[in-house]
Amino acid sequence: MNRDEAERKRLLAEFAKCRSCRFCVDVCPTYQASCGVESFSGYGRMQIIKYLLTGLLEFDDALTYCLYSCLQCRRCEVVCKSKGQNLDICDLIQRGRRLLSGRLARGGRHAKL
Amino acid sequence: MRNSKLLISQALKTISGNLERTGDPLGLRSPYWTRWTRRIDLPRHGSPLLFTARMYQMLPFVVQATEMAEKAAPLVPALSVKTIAKVVEIAGAAAAEPILRLRARRARDLRNRAETALAGIVAALAAAGILPGYLYEKEPYSGVLLYDLGMEAAAASAARGVHQTLKEAGVDTVITVDPHTTFMLRQVYPRYIPGFRLPVRHYLEVLAGVGAMPKPLRRTGLPVRIVMHDSCVMTRDLGVVAPARTVLSRLGIEVVEPENTKTDTACCGGPVEYAFADLSRSISCIRAAELAGACRNVLVACPICLINLMKHEKDLGIRVWDMGELLFHAFASRLREAAPQRPSEEPDGKGAAGVRAARI
Repeated sequence: MNRDEAERKRLLAEFAKCRSCRFCVDVCPTYQASCGVESFSGYGRMQIIKYLLTGLLEFDDALTYCLYSCLQCRRCEVVCKSKGQNLDICDLIQRGRRLLSGRLARGGRHAKL
Repeated sequence: MRNSKLLISQALKTISGNLERTGDPLGLRSPYWTRWTRRIDLPRHGSPLLFTARMYQMLPFVVQATEMAEKAAPLVPALSVKTIAKVVEIAGAAAAEPILRLRARRARDLRNRAETALAGIVAALAAAGILPGYLYEKEPYSGVLLYDLGMEAAAASAARGVHQTLKEAGVDTVITVDPHTTFMLRQVYPRYIPGFRLPVRHYLEVLAGVGAMPKPLRRTGLPVRIVMHDSCVMTRDLGVVAPARTVLSRLGIEVVEPENTKTDTACCGGPVEYAFADLSRSISCIRAAELAGACRNVLVACPICLINLMKHEKDLGIRVWDMGELLFHAFASRLREAAPQRPSEEPDGKGAAGVRAARI
């Protein structure tokens, strides 16, 4: 199993811990600025990475915008922790980006996850 | 949203290419980051070391680069993004520096404010009995943008370069001036460099920890009340909340807390400005309006927050202060006191300032 494959499995295991309470959605500054599009929230971004990793979504411009517009401000994590779930949401999004960034820099428009 | 994939791809290539080529994320070769030291002479060696990581100094260039990118956006439907990106990439190495430099000169006010902030930080440290060393043209960039963008290998390489530079300079304590660099040195570098245990302290932690920080020498121009905008990185990543408030109370300034404050602070939108300027502006507008509702004087202690919130100064009738600017108003005369004892004249760097440098 190569490094990316192992990371993919670890990330999916982390995403499975999310109980979809969506408390992290309202507090996200990008969600507020985009007038309520859930893809621009911690929960939405975790879902996007999950479905990219499982192959249900294909990596395109809209998804790139959603993933790379995360501010990494960790406001979602404060709420997640206060609700007892304790997911490091920004860290998970960052790890998803790490899987993507190398391919994006090499492949540009044709990059795939 | 259109062409985001190519836009991010190009941003990743440009930033990592610039760093590889010149050691600077903007691709600039001449040491623009030392200009602020014209106001003060710091020792070139010794510990503690002031590590700015060029963050305040690059503000005028960042603003101009973002404006240029925004102006180029309407051309996108006519030419393809790939064509524009290729032209920028090819021209970048040769032409970007003079263009950026020329345009950055127009952002004179911002440059002055950034330089004043840095001078203010040094003045306050001097008032507390600490005169740090500074690496001048040898000062490296921390690699924080690469880390944020998920370019882990490039960020790790930058971290090793910084570590090597600090080791060669014989540094045993680092004083940082912004939350992002503090976060990198304190939390990210140890992941990349086994055995990296350099004590890293933000200047506000240093000032708040000094028992007898003198009272401001000059109160003219200092606001009476100020609303505090906490940086996300400072409060949530680093857990540093109290020092800024301690320093403000010592300056005799009343702190007003906005609705979202301390560990529940709201972001200024800065981290996405490099690629999504519209989104960044919408986020900063929401935050600036919230702060303006609490007080007309707004305080930040981060260069990224400064450039993002100051965009709304005219619209909302607010004045955004960096903590360094306040410290400059309060302690500027300390710079003149420190200036005559020039330790840079002593090649081993263990001169007067080295002796005077208080333990932190």
